[in-house]
Amino acid sequence: MDATQLMRFLSPTSPRRLRVIENILVGKRTVSTLYWGMRYHQLSWLGYEKKLSREVMDQAVHNLQTEGLVTVEQTNAQLTQQGAVEQQKLLQNSYQPQHLKIRLVVDVETFWQRLLLATQVVSEQSYQNRQYYPLQTSWQVKQTVKRWFRQFHGADLQTVFYNFWQDVFADLPSDQASFMSRLLVGHERPGDTLQQVSRDFQMSETEARLMEVDLICQLAKLVSQAANSSINALLAGLNHSLVSASANQTLRSFMAGESLEVISRKRSLKLSTVREHLLEAAIMLPLEQFDYQRILTPELVAQLESRLNGFPLDEWQFKQVEDLPVDFWQFRLLEILRSKKADDKH
Amino acid sequence: MISTEQLYQTLQQRFGFSRFRPGQLEALTALTAKHNTLAVLPTGAGKTLIYELYGAITQQLVLIVSPLISLMQDQVTTLNVKGEKRAAALTSMMTYSEKNWILRHLHEYHFIFISPEMLSQDQVLSAFQSTQIGLLVVDEAHCISTWGPDFRPEYLLLGQIRHQLHDPLTLMATATATERVREDIKQKLQLPQATEIVQPVDRQNIFLSVERFEAQTDKEERLVELVAKLKKPGVVYFSSKKKANEMAELLAAKTDCKVAAYHADLDSETRFKVQQQFMQDQLDVICATSAFGMGIDKNNVRFVIHYHVPSDVESYWQEIGRAGRDGQQSVAILLYQAGDEQIAAFLSEETVPQENEIHYYFQQNAPQVAGDEKANLIWFYKQHGYSEAQVQNSFASRREQRVTALRKMMGYVRTPDCKRQYIQQYFDQVQDVATNPEHCCSSDEAQLDFGVLGLLATATPAQSDQSSAEWPAILKQLFNF
Repeated sequence: MDATQLMRFLSPTSPRRLRVIENILVGKRTVSTLYWGMRYHQLSWLGYEKKLSREVMDQAVHNLQTEGLVTVEQTNAQLTQQGAVEQQKLLQNSYQPQHLKIRLVVDVETFWQRLLLATQVVSEQSYQNRQYYPLQTSWQVKQTVKRWFRQFHGADLQTVFYNFWQDVFADLPSDQASFMSRLLVGHERPGDTLQQVSRDFQMSETEARLMEVDLICQLAKLVSQAANSSINALLAGLNHSLVSASANQTLRSFMAGESLEVISRKRSLKLSTVREHLLEAAIMLPLEQFDYQRILTPELVAQLESRLNGFPLDEWQFKQVEDLPVDFWQFRLLEILRSKKADDKH
Repeated sequence: MISTEQLYQTLQQRFGFSRFRPGQLEALTALTAKHNTLAVLPTGAGKTLIYELYGAITQQLVLIVSPLISLMQDQVTTLNVKGEKRAAALTSMMTYSEKNWILRHLHEYHFIFISPEMLSQDQVLSAFQSTQIGLLVVDEAHCISTWGPDFRPEYLLLGQIRHQLHDPLTLMATATATERVREDIKQKLQLPQATEIVQPVDRQNIFLSVERFEAQTDKEERLVELVAKLKKPGVVYFSSKKKANEMAELLAAKTDCKVAAYHADLDSETRFKVQQQFMQDQLDVICATSAFGMGIDKNNVRFVIHYHVPSDVESYWQEIGRAGRDGQQSVAILLYQAGDEQIAAFLSEETVPQENEIHYYFQQNAPQVAGDEKANLIWFYKQHGYSEAQVQNSFASRREQRVTALRKMMGYVRTPDCKRQYIQQYFDQVQDVATNPEHCCSSDEAQLDFGVLGLLATATPAQSDQSSAEWPAILKQLFNF
């Protein structure tokens, strides 16, 4: 994270909560973080920078402030006019990620470790070399690739990999193909570090990392569609669901028609936790995969809307409706519904 | 009984060498005669070969206690690369089931690396108790000594653990240890009778130089100048990651060299790439913190420069030991700016808890924050029945030791006399001055022209053919098409 990257997440028209931006990057799945992350169209960045520290975040804010690009009130930041101009420049002149969303359903980090190691193993095999230093990866990745190699080593991996990478690179813009090819590791080729590549491409390391992650996401998508079983097998077991495992379980019971009270009792969860699970699911899943009507009856929605219509969504306050027979979580669910109907870009 | 002839045979067959390096045969002979052995061999002298060969020849399990996870993984990889597949590191990075799997299959392994913390866990210890251990190796054995700079309290348990493992034959190995530390190691492991194999720590092919500066800018300029003109490859050590990063940038910008930073903050992919680029002569210079070096076996490093003063002579000696392993002329240069010792003092003191901290942590239960090293340290003593007063005392003397250790290091920087002799005295290995190399140290030849040593860069810097290649060429090369 640097100041430039932070600008990406800010808006010139309304203040945004810095803690939400930070928590999304770190990967905190609280309902309030996810809700605002959705509002800021930032959900695809969930857990993008798990090690982001408060110090680094504050430094980025401070830098933007000194340059007059943002105004900060308490912990909310808004782009100034000049900031908006800079943001436009940034959007035009720097790498724009397209595929980050896939991170939410695939463990792309592990996928890349596997693919990188497999590429090295196949490269060394192409030279019949058995004595080399393998990439240092986690024990799990090493075991997986070992098993994978045992299973496929007779399958002319040399040609398969050569063709696979050739197809990948041929389809990419040439600078991106060149960027990614230099990261690869193999026989007598230790590969370049991200820093070295970023230096040669005259990018900041932050931008280079973004490009790398986005390219890996693209690769993951390609590999999942690949017809070749050896390449395809590298993705095995790396899918995960959009919602957390526990929330998913709650959701399944809910969609099967169980009442919140029953779910709460059966799973020994507090009712509030069950509600949070449902809100998480509603935020993360496409509109049609959640049964809004069971919680928001048409009468309730009509009542709420008579009060709230005319106010922009982000200015809705629970205060406006608290005298009605409605809980905060139902109010939030309506906000989610509205947000999704208005723009489902996340 | 294994004969010397067999040792030579195995050396030839397995390692492809016809001669042992100094100290190796002596240590192996002692071990094959079932003598517990303390081997003090300089960095790069091939301590690993001793237990590797012993394990190969006896076909028994060798259990190596080692202080650093990253080092253990490197060691396993190195064994794998040499064709020894039955090696593993038991580390906290593994999941419960992975660890269990290895513990249930101990008999299938020849070499197992483990940390003292892991070995002291009941379940782990009992697994090893029911296995025949051919050789127990305590690597970096100075860690057991309260007089050593890398003291780790968990090492204190090893004497007891060794008994619980039915007193297996034991090799204690370290690169640098004064007489006092050697005595302490033997005492803590309860092996007072152990055979000592001590090789001279002195490295005659390394010219020892100290240069002094008044201002930081002068020091930086000099570093740039040295890196530009000295024969490569080389390593520059820093005591902070931030400075290592900054100077790597500066050196890359101001010289023709390919430079990279190397420290504990790098992810494992980057670390691998930097290591391998360096090994394959695609990098000229590495700007490192002390995290670099462990497990790197590169013979032709021509210079080691220290940008900061290390906090003790042992660390300094260990780090410059990366130079000239091929026996060729090399140089170690310490760039000292007045006041640098304060950075070293701060870093050195920072690791030892202060009185009020000890008191505070003693009131606490188990450490609250993962990775809080001081809390863990105090917790260790508390768990092992030490009183607060005992701990206060022992840390007070530890702080004193650190101060003394730094003073000794500064003695090296400041002495107008022979630097080499200073080191020999420090390690209780004084040699006749007549044995010193012709070009010895900056005390004799302050303005030595490195050309005299043959250490001026002549060839062009490391080839950077990697970067210029386009992807079709890269793919052809990778997959041999």
